Amino acid sequence: MPPAGLDNLKHIVVLMMENRSFDHMLGGLMKQYPRINGLTGNESNPDMNGTMVKVQPNAKFQGQLDHDPDHHFPGVDLQIFGGTPPGPGRVANMQGFIKSYATQGTSLNASHAIMSYFPPKSLPVLTTLATEFAVFNGWFSSIPGPTICNRAFAHYGTSFGNVDMNLFYIQDPIQSIYERMVNGGHTAKIYYYDQQSSTMEIVNLLKNQPQIFGSYSQFVADCNGNTLPEYSFIEPCYNDHPGPGGGQILASDQHPDHNVQEGERFIANTYNAIRTNERLWETTAMLIVYDEHGGIYDHVVPPACQPDGYSATADKTGTGEAFNFDRLGIRVPAILVSPYVPRGTVIPGTEDPNGLIFEHACIPGTVTDFFLKNYDQRTVREKNSRNFLTPLTDTLRPDDDCWVFDL
Amino acid sequence: MLKKYKLMMKVPKTPKNAYDHGRFISSLIEHQIKHFSEIERSLLKPGETLTDYTKIKTELQASKYLKHMTALAHERGGRAKGAVVAPEKTSSATNAAVSKSKTKKGKRKSR
Repeated sequence: MPPAGLDNLKHIVVLMMENRSFDHMLGGLMKQYPRINGLTGNESNPDMNGTMVKVQPNAKFQGQLDHDPDHHFPGVDLQIFGGTPPGPGRVANMQGFIKSYATQGTSLNASHAIMSYFPPKSLPVLTTLATEFAVFNGWFSSIPGPTICNRAFAHYGTSFGNVDMNLFYIQDPIQSIYERMVNGGHTAKIYYYDQQSSTMEIVNLLKNQPQIFGSYSQFVADCNGNTLPEYSFIEPCYNDHPGPGGGQILASDQHPDHNVQEGERFIANTYNAIRTNERLWETTAMLIVYDEHGGIYDHVVPPACQPDGYSATADKTGTGEAFNFDRLGIRVPAILVSPYVPRGTVIPGTEDPNGLIFEHACIPGTVTDFFLKNYDQRTVREKNSRNFLTPLTDTLRPDDDCWVFDL
Repeated sequence: MLKKYKLMMKVPKTPKNAYDHGRFISSLIEHQIKHFSEIERSLLKPGETLTDYTKIKTELQASKYLKHMTALAHERGGRAKGAVVAPEKTSSATNAAVSKSKTKKGKRKSR
């Protein structure tokens, strides 16, 4: 018998934010919650003068990372391996973050900002959800590279061999999770914020399958009207633009240098849309996850992973070495929310010999396994990915045991 | 209006000065626009000209182009067959969405 949390589950919602590492957003929680694999305060990186610079709880909502930190494949390679060029036997040490940021023309002092993290009280929404529900110590971006290829894993379980920002070409027989769901008689939707922000990397899907897209206001209406699809993927607002009636819409994706507080409000609003509908709340699991680390420091060495059968050539990676999709990218925040998740759940990662490793292929993997059961037309990597719904238990927490955000 | 809940947490408001639609676009938005440009190319009707996306510099300009293209993809999408074709080198005109935008505040810092 599956636990009641899974038995009653009717909706899975994934909210994917932009470009922040685990330690940057949640690392400060370890002092109060020792099972969360965050920062001791002694982690450091050398700067361009060779001075060791420790992590500092002085991250700012905006204006500190206005040079967008490098998160393309060669930059991330430098961050992970500290500048040791590709070759046999090199060891990942997470010592190249400041070096990487300094190569972008930042001043010596400004390059230290890449080691900044938020004190937990600065991020009341994210840290509350992390400590009230389940936080994953070992959720990694799928590729040590940028947004587009990483988000591809969330939609297709693969990036079709891409490690960059280029438009990718879908290769038969692999379908997006949305197409799989709809073709299997289920319901699924991608909710982009609005047309001015639109969708990020799946424009091909927008062109060919426009019926599976909706706006964020439609998501809120679907929550209120009990018409939410079985699977929903939410995209935050990616740019600042005028709103209706002379208003201002702020980017809520938290991509540097967009305001992190606005992202907090967006996460809270999305959570509230589910939380304040009792029927929906009791039948929904919501995953909040970041696409990649955005060039910002994290102390955990990314582990090896199941290759997905693709390879990126040395000229594509920019490092002089081919990439066989056999190791993961840098760790990102990931939180599972459901009233069936006990308060304070921590899913151990690489710090625990019995820890569990998650990455974005787990998203279509879990959704497919849950709704479609046996479905073969996907990569081996996705098929073998871990199910992120395992924290759901038999016990429904009482309504007055779970927070609501006042916006 | 929220009903009364036992556990309510106030979320701080974002400062108004956080808004800057003149901010120069990041590498992320730049690539988003490039992808939409490929869609635009595939949806063009005879006589229509392709937007010169290289003239899009700010988030406001990007938002106007994305709105136009998203609406177009919804309107004409689903009828086109197959995947987006690989890009070709063509010259192109700038559409109104771009030419009407202004870049007062932006400084290019993003990669």
